[in-house]
Amino acid sequence: MKKIKLLPFIPIAIMLALMSFGCAKDMSKPTAAAKPAAVEAQKQPDNVYIGSVTGKSNKAKTISITVGKGDAAQPYMLKFDDKTTGLEFAEAGEAAIITWEQRGDDKFATVIKPKLAKLPEGVTEIKVDELYQLIENKAPMTLVDARPPFRYNPSHIPGAINIPVPVLKEKGAAVLPEDKNSLIVFYCQGVT
Amino acid sequence: MTTENAGLAKELGYTNVRAFLEGIPAWIKEGYPVYATNEFVAKGNIVLLDLRADGAAVKGRIPRAVVVPYATLEKRVNDIPRNAPVVLYSDNEEEVMNAYEDLLFDGFKNVSLVPGNYQGWADWEYGVVVDGPIFSNEIRWVRQLGKGEVSVDEFRKATKGELPDVFVIDARTEEEIAEFGIFTNTVNIPLDEIPKRMNDIPKDKRIFVHCSTGARADLAYHELTKNGYDVKFLLLDITDPECDCEIIKPKLDSES
Repeated sequence: MKKIKLLPFIPIAIMLALMSFGCAKDMSKPTAAAKPAAVEAQKQPDNVYIGSVTGKSNKAKTISITVGKGDAAQPYMLKFDDKTTGLEFAEAGEAAIITWEQRGDDKFATVIKPKLAKLPEGVTEIKVDELYQLIENKAPMTLVDARPPFRYNPSHIPGAINIPVPVLKEKGAAVLPEDKNSLIVFYCQGVT
Repeated sequence: MTTENAGLAKELGYTNVRAFLEGIPAWIKEGYPVYATNEFVAKGNIVLLDLRADGAAVKGRIPRAVVVPYATLEKRVNDIPRNAPVVLYSDNEEEVMNAYEDLLFDGFKNVSLVPGNYQGWADWEYGVVVDGPIFSNEIRWVRQLGKGEVSVDEFRKATKGELPDVFVIDARTEEEIAEFGIFTNTVNIPLDEIPKRMNDIPKDKRIFVHCSTGARADLAYHELTKNGYDVKFLLLDITDPECDCEIIKPKLDSES
């Protein structure tokens, strides 16, 4: 079991806000620490929504997407038609970039692209089979489930500990291993 | 959040940080096991299945477990609610993994295992075990309403006109309603028309929205909530007998 000690808050602000969504499904939680300037710095053009798709109805030919996080989150509804490209990326829970145009009263999605997670510098990706092998071989590592507890509790990878983003922000290295050269693997709900 | 946490760890000086970007869905797709926490097994709103045979459960079992010996799982599979988190245990690692894979193959989306299987539970300091005769192997589970959901009972009352403070919206298309009819005391505003028809929706009433399955109603819920309405939506296939709301046929509504 891990002992959790309270450390003074460690500021890490700006880069966080610049980071991509990673796990679109769970981006609803407000990010306590790193709200400030960076968010605004990343201004989008007016006819583009970048956010998490909350749903798509083929019958109503409508997509809804939530832009922003926490209290600032805004849902938007867009229509689509046969000319809309990239509809396969508009699945509930996916992070997407939707370009749209105004036609009459409606906003029409013209191009939908997936928003892919960008890895921070120096962090490498691990694939499912390699991770499985590490666990099977009981390789020394700290496996961290970054999702909120309501997702971790019912279902997590064996050996994983639960450190949601806000917890890591608040407690920093106190919830991670002492040895800074040891292997840490993070995962969440995925971006596929 | 993987990338966010990985970035934080780098900032904190960790040198060997990796990101499993495909995450849980890829892990489960490979048939690799996922586990519930002990606390979730103890208190979660779950279906807990004891797969052991030969009366092992009589000598000791996890509270709330339903005994479904692995050999009978296939026969019982339709008794297991598809939306429930299903948690499995046995005293045999291979058996529990077989059951896990069977259920995934059968399309179950929320299946996990008890950490350490039955023995792991029994060894856990809070792992209460009950013993003695088993009177029922019925699987009971009631879904808890999610955020914004209206209960079927309350929704039915509204369509019967028993809730005067509620305005019910049918978010299906006009074509669907022409074909299937519309509930009583309900107004048709197709999902895609909701943004421009806010004036047709009273601000001083509670709003219930439904469609054919709940998917569009969910979207309408978000759109209306954003516009300041007090909204709930029905997450139900309306052809489900549970709905049991009176339908007007053919179409009759207040549209122009």
